[in-house]
Amino acid sequence: MKAVEVMVIGGGPAGLCAALSAASLGAKVLLAERDGTPGGQLVKQTHKFFGSEKQYAGDRGVHIAQMLLDKARVDSNIEIWTDSAVLSIYEDGVVTVEHEGKHAKVKPGRSIIATGAAEKFLSFPGNDLPGVYGAGAVQTLMNVSGVKPAERVLMVGAGNIGLIVSYQLAQAGVKVEAVIEGAARIGGYLVHASKIRRAGIPIMTRHTILEAFGEKQVEGAVIAQLDDNWLPVAGTERKIACDAICLAVGLSPLAELAWQAGCEMAYIKELSGHVPIVNEFLESTISGIYCAGDVSGIEEASAAMVEGRLAGISVAVSLGHGGGAAEAMQREAMGELGELRAGLMGRHIREGLAKMDSLAAEFGIRNSEFKTPHAAAELGIGCEVQDISISATSPASALFSSGVPANEDIAKICPSDERFAAGPVAVVECFQEIPCNPCVKACNRGAIAMPRDINDMPALNARLCNGCGRCIPLCPGLAIFVIDMDYGEDLALVKLPYEYVPIPKAGQLALGLDRCGRELGRYEVVRVMPGGKRNMTHTVALAVPKELAMEVRAVGVL
Amino acid sequence: MVIVGGGIIGCSVAFELAKRGRRDVLVIEQGYLTSGATGRCGAGIRQQWGSVLNAALAVESTQIFENLEEHTGYEGDCGLNQGGYLLVAYTQKEWEQFQRNLDVQHSVGVDSYAVDLEGIKGIVPHINTDGMLGACFCAKDGHADPFHCTYAYARGAQRMGVDIETYTQVLGFEVDGGRISSVKTDKGNVGANVVLNCAGNRAAQMAALVGDELPIAPERHQILITEPVAHIMSPMVMSFHRHFYVQQTPHGSVIMGIGDPSEPVGCNVRSSWQFLEHCAWLVTQTLPAFRNLRVVRQWAGSYDMSPDRNPIISEAGGAEGFFTIAGFSGHGFMVAPRTAILVANHLTGLEDSLDIKRFSASRYKEGELLLEPSVV
Repeated sequence: MKAVEVMVIGGGPAGLCAALSAASLGAKVLLAERDGTPGGQLVKQTHKFFGSEKQYAGDRGVHIAQMLLDKARVDSNIEIWTDSAVLSIYEDGVVTVEHEGKHAKVKPGRSIIATGAAEKFLSFPGNDLPGVYGAGAVQTLMNVSGVKPAERVLMVGAGNIGLIVSYQLAQAGVKVEAVIEGAARIGGYLVHASKIRRAGIPIMTRHTILEAFGEKQVEGAVIAQLDDNWLPVAGTERKIACDAICLAVGLSPLAELAWQAGCEMAYIKELSGHVPIVNEFLESTISGIYCAGDVSGIEEASAAMVEGRLAGISVAVSLGHGGGAAEAMQREAMGELGELRAGLMGRHIREGLAKMDSLAAEFGIRNSEFKTPHAAAELGIGCEVQDISISATSPASALFSSGVPANEDIAKICPSDERFAAGPVAVVECFQEIPCNPCVKACNRGAIAMPRDINDMPALNARLCNGCGRCIPLCPGLAIFVIDMDYGEDLALVKLPYEYVPIPKAGQLALGLDRCGRELGRYEVVRVMPGGKRNMTHTVALAVPKELAMEVRAVGVL
Repeated sequence: MVIVGGGIIGCSVAFELAKRGRRDVLVIEQGYLTSGATGRCGAGIRQQWGSVLNAALAVESTQIFENLEEHTGYEGDCGLNQGGYLLVAYTQKEWEQFQRNLDVQHSVGVDSYAVDLEGIKGIVPHINTDGMLGACFCAKDGHADPFHCTYAYARGAQRMGVDIETYTQVLGFEVDGGRISSVKTDKGNVGANVVLNCAGNRAAQMAALVGDELPIAPERHQILITEPVAHIMSPMVMSFHRHFYVQQTPHGSVIMGIGDPSEPVGCNVRSSWQFLEHCAWLVTQTLPAFRNLRVVRQWAGSYDMSPDRNPIISEAGGAEGFFTIAGFSGHGFMVAPRTAILVANHLTGLEDSLDIKRFSASRYKEGELLLEPSVV
């Protein structure tokens, strides 16, 4: 039997951060990962992360995984077991692991369950045909295994996963026929939606899949519109030809190990299912067993990383490591979580965690002296009761159903004619309160600000902006453009972010596309600036007729 | 009439009562049907017993299992598979006991016989006979699906008018003038002049609520199942000396369990890693072919142990109409069909070839124990 101070179960974003923070305070950690390489879902996430610098915002998931793993591998306090599935946590605290073909037994002082989540499925006739995938599986095929999963895809679900995987399918040269979404509004970040709309992918809200058809594999799907009661509207059925159907209909916490260990569980719908009840330090009702990341509630990976860090600090502290600095570290992590969850998009998480808090109190594991950020309004940020309905600062409802900013949205952020006349200037097409602020950090002139917190929409001070374009490749949502109206007599120069192949070359003609992916014309590529090894987003400068400067938003290579 | 407990005993008794015209029956189950010991059991059906009473119950029960779908009008498949039981003897004492058991079994019509080591290999070619003296075999033993069997009885009972309330807790009983009068539950009270306590490992707790003290104690028994592999073994192989049983299900998974003489009394049904390792080691000594199989699941259930490892079917002293039918000590499933008939006959005034009084709890006071030598 192997004795360790801390056992971390799962090497995804939460697990890696838990191991790193516990080890940094001096605890000896064993991290067990079921897969051949730690990193969890990060390894297939080729898009840039949101959040703030502390959660590696602006970095791509795959790079974050590599960086965390590189750190963990050289940390002498961390031992990593890969291809090692944890089997059970027994009553006597022994954790069993299938490791190197053996039934290995580990006796940890503390355990952190960071097992993540699994994709939900959807029931409809034909859902067992080859070609019906979870969207995450398709992402793995493409981005980890390098396999093109299909030629034509129907994406079901317009949450972040559905939108992001659609974008990545388009990057891989797969035609996404449509993204359909049962709800009336797009659930994921609007910047992701706008990005795929520019690639010409339609988003159909209030639509669902009725069936998949095909002889031996998927040949198409029947979709239909939904009414207010989520029932299909007769006569709206239509066939979409495709050879794969991706289901991106949400995630469920992978909480089996917590169940099996005997943790008290609760069904909290805002946290996406049955979750272990944890206190503010993420300790479950079983002393010494902690849970971090999606296993205790589905959130973004940025939150999972901070939860991992918090759990790691907490277990180290409980083992006598860390000294006086630890409490400040715990508070810092809690503060970051509070910030990530403070905006409109975090509302359901806050509601779920409020339920979690009262359950933790009911089970006597809540520590009253620590105030959690989500205990409403204590931090005074974004916790006032905000209705999800459109507020004064919100975009027009059309954007929520289409992913394309309406003219009135654009009018709000469009620099004045005087400002355009004064030289190049950024146009920030970010209309939603999401937790993200790399643009603020990108601008060394301080032209982009978020007065309250990272959930604010970026406010551009056009007088301070000189149109340098540094923010273009750094915006994770690819929502910033720079326009130089003074480029030529009739021509404006539009600088656009670009993440497809092939990369256009200066001097070539390329297609100018509008916000719906429609071709506006063929224009000269004036410059192409690479974003660098890590960033990887190119900035393409296109010379377009002045009157189209506020219309051209994407580049298509001929 | 209220039946407390929705396992195989409660449901089969409800069915047999309804069949005999008692349809004013309510079954109260604290979880879902089979959520107690029934759904966790090893599912074996064995007729090779060492006492006449058990052998008789088992023989007639097996005959009912053979036609349970027809008997209950069930549309599903109760999953009976008669691959036999091979009881192996490792000690001289055990081997001699087996010879005596055969006489008992033959007296009630069990088609069992002794085999030597070569005979053992003929029945289970992959077995390691080291240390064995011989074995007994009955081809008509086997196993059935405890979930389907319970539902067959429950659905059959419901069709005849029996009500079943799941997720309902029995909180207590009211006794009026020495006779049971009602049952208190978390969903309200229900009047009853007969209560059948079929609560398995909680039967003693239930009986205590009417002041009846019964020597029934819960005892954890653990079990595991492997991945399915090619079929190499039809019978259940069982050793009393080594305290194990193992069988391969028709779809290829191997189910095995051991009895742990040091297991404390208690309602714990959590699993342990010690069981996993010890059971796997022990069983693969005898069946080395199973050595590299992957375990897909382990679980535990609770035997309702009585002092002589045999059921107690008794009316409470201070509460007329309160009957306990429990204490089956790990073999309730396999004798349930005939036991249910015995109980139903008694309650409806019908005659029975078996003497129900032999199962009375008074046997412990009178020293008339129902000794059963053959239990794991």
